Amino acid sequence: MSTHSDQLEITKLMLTLENFPVITENTILKVALDEMDKFRLGVACIVDFKGQLLGIITDGDIRRKLSLVQKPLSFFFVDDVILHAIHNPVTIIKETSLTEATNLMYEKKIWDLPVIQDNHLIGLLHMHSVAHALINANH
Amino acid sequence: MLNKKIKKLEIGYGKVNKVHIGENLPLVFLGGPCAIESRDHAFKMAELIGEICLKVGISWVYKSCYDKDCRSSPESFHGLGKDDGLTILSDIRTEFKVPVVSDFSDTAWAPATGEVCDMVQVPAYLCRQTSILRAAADTGRVIHLKKGQFMSPWNMKNSVRKIESFGNTQILLADRGTFMGYNSLVNDMTSFPIMQKTGYPVCFDATHSIQLPTSMGNISGGQREFIPFLVRAAVGCGINALFMEVHDNPKKALSDANTVLDIKYLKNILEQAVLMHQTRLEILDKYGEDNVHPQ
Repeated sequence: MSTHSDQLEITKLMLTLENFPVITENTILKVALDEMDKFRLGVACIVDFKGQLLGIITDGDIRRKLSLVQKPLSFFFVDDVILHAIHNPVTIIKETSLTEATNLMYEKKIWDLPVIQDNHLIGLLHMHSVAHALINANH
Repeated sequence: MLNKKIKKLEIGYGKVNKVHIGENLPLVFLGGPCAIESRDHAFKMAELIGEICLKVGISWVYKSCYDKDCRSSPESFHGLGKDDGLTILSDIRTEFKVPVVSDFSDTAWAPATGEVCDMVQVPAYLCRQTSILRAAADTGRVIHLKKGQFMSPWNMKNSVRKIESFGNTQILLADRGTFMGYNSLVNDMTSFPIMQKTGYPVCFDATHSIQLPTSMGNISGGQREFIPFLVRAAVGCGINALFMEVHDNPKKALSDANTVLDIKYLKNILEQAVLMHQTRLEILDKYGEDNVHPQ
């Protein structure tokens, strides 16, 4: 990892709130999936009315559920998204270095990291932005 | 199974005997003749049913409708109409101190219905109509929302959410059977715990569940001999209220003659339902809440 890359600020690389799926806990699962599809991301962040992160749901969570769920899809889809969410996702803060964030993604085998400030969700760091930034920083 | 506590409903305003429906509360009965046939008949039925409910020890809500808009034939009896019907219901409230419920099939009828009735009912065929749900919510009364025969129990969540979005959070969800092919209904008993997941209590409509919709050409048939079986099953599955249409002379009933319960059977069935309900609560008390979880 170059020194250059660590000078990149997370806030400059992360997706801002209007550019990734941010939904409430009572959103039905089908709508959550539609939101993920709309932004072409495999993750949605679930927040309360204050904007505090309650959990995330990912393509992988849905994939694993689909192999286990024993009820009709129409029933599954109408579930509140929070029922299928990860409640303690791995997160970073805006002061986290790009090296730390990239290592976290590698170690946890994840593509996205919600960015938190004062318990509130402020953005999402996605692998695409990280990879792009690292390539540019090294040239 | 339940992810929310079931809301407690209070039915009744003014000087009627208020009725409470909810989790771990005594079973409540909603009943009466399908349609208001005449002032005398409506009063007679209120008196007879009230006496039986008193003997059985069950709280009740008088149900009768002033305009049956979903009859199979234009020749069928529609009812006395909104104004005369609601006047009779209002007088029954005053005379017997019993809360009353009637359905409404037109948004324009909703304000007057809510003005008089302690509870307003949304007909099953109209259970997902946004304008009807908004009109019901706007009355401010408890809403008896029947699951359409064409609806899955889980999709009733959408209708519930519509009502909530219009500012009303007093809902009783009912199952009145689900279409199985043509002219036939079945009861899926899992509908009760599924609909309770919305956070609201549930009701079993026993007399419409044994209906064979429009099976007789231009009127509906019925298999009322199965009412006691289904009542015992539904109470065992944890319903919070029981709905049955009752008549003193079913053969002469002007609406739903093939499904209404003869009043001579009412006491027996209500006693069984109350005993079954108490037994279920005792079972849960002894063995704990159901704890079989999905994978």
